Amino acid sequence: MLNTILKYTGLFILLIALQILLMNNIQFSGFVNPYIYILFILLLPFDTSSWLLLLLSFITGLIIDLTSGTLGLHVAATVFAGFLRPYVLNLISPREGYEKGELPGIQTYGFRWFITYILIIVAFHHIALFYLEVFRFEYFFRTLIRVILSTGFTVLFVIIIQVIFIRR
Amino acid sequence: MRNLLNFLKKFGNILLFVLLEAIAVYLMASRPNYHNIKLSKALNATSAFVHEKVNRATDYFSLVDINEQLLKENRELRNAMQRIYSNSEISTFSVTDSIYRQQYIYILARAVNNSVNKQKNYITLNKGILNGVRENMAVIGPDGIVGIIIEAGSNYSIAMSALNLDFRLSARLSKNGYFGSLTWDGKDINCLNLNEIPHHVNLATGDTVETTGYSAVFPEGIMVGTVSEFEVSGGDFYTVKVKLSTQFKKLNNVYLVVNLNKEEQQELESDIR
Repeated sequence: MLNTILKYTGLFILLIALQILLMNNIQFSGFVNPYIYILFILLLPFDTSSWLLLLLSFITGLIIDLTSGTLGLHVAATVFAGFLRPYVLNLISPREGYEKGELPGIQTYGFRWFITYILIIVAFHHIALFYLEVFRFEYFFRTLIRVILSTGFTVLFVIIIQVIFIRR
Repeated sequence: MRNLLNFLKKFGNILLFVLLEAIAVYLMASRPNYHNIKLSKALNATSAFVHEKVNRATDYFSLVDINEQLLKENRELRNAMQRIYSNSEISTFSVTDSIYRQQYIYILARAVNNSVNKQKNYITLNKGILNGVRENMAVIGPDGIVGIIIEAGSNYSIAMSALNLDFRLSARLSKNGYFGSLTWDGKDINCLNLNEIPHHVNLATGDTVETTGYSAVFPEGIMVGTVSEFEVSGGDFYTVKVKLSTQFKKLNNVYLVVNLNKEEQQELESDIR
């Protein structure tokens, strides 16, 4: 139990540092803003209770907000993603259900399952994030393009990170 | 009681979700005075500190550009000095108290954190209230406008970049003085839009656009950029695309402008409103 908590704290710090020091500095025409910190919420064990998921989402969002001067924005999007996670997991669950104590990952249920899982949640997270950031319908389609491109890159980075760092 | 527990078991998560989202919305809505929150202030200072350290390391890569910029600025200043001195030799020139003549003081600051990839970009500067920075001060670079201070902490301050959907500034064509409002449409980080220029105005690409100084924030005549294209938009007005003279991607040293007459101007203006 303690081991798991330590591992996740390490993951948390790593992802936040990567996000702030590296990802926030990607300046590619304003259309690509990957937000990989969401991976922390995605990788929590299957049997994490919903309320803990929501609280952890809130804390993650708050820290990103406080370091990037956008108070409330990332909190709203991340809590939304954390809220959706159990429903998405339910939707795409394998026939025999999830095993207790397992962690979501490429190894667990295969590449296709993993990519469906992260794609859905990252897409919802980014939709909430970018539309709340702009907060007007005037730029609807441009924001949509930003959502799509950023989602693609976030998923790409998430898979890279998953492959490099998180093999147990 | 059991009913209540059952209810909480069933809908507790949704309640918690709604509660947390409500907090998020409240935080977003209270954006302008969030520096009241102590925690956020402390964390902001910490992240600004980290950014400054990172910045110092990456700064070496842009030293050549910065040097060139400074040399260019020095040349301009030398030229200006020449003009002043040669004038004073011709005419008799009485020295008046500088406090009454000087309208602007410039504070040098460095951008320690800057983004251009969002729709609402902000710049963190390494000078704060202790250095005389206040809200609503203009931020200019060696090449032209940069932004406006929206928050000042004790050692750091945050400026709204000109590349922000909420940015508004009055600017004019320097050749004939027609002015309009300057905004960013979020598309191109090298271009701002100058709106409300009347149809009959004689325009050409390459015309210089500068600040007007009507708002008492920016000094008059600070370079914004040059006209890159223009088209008639709905009725009698041009929408003019202005190519920015400031390179926001390479932003480093900036000046904060203290307007010594600002309060007097605003007081007078508020009197007649």
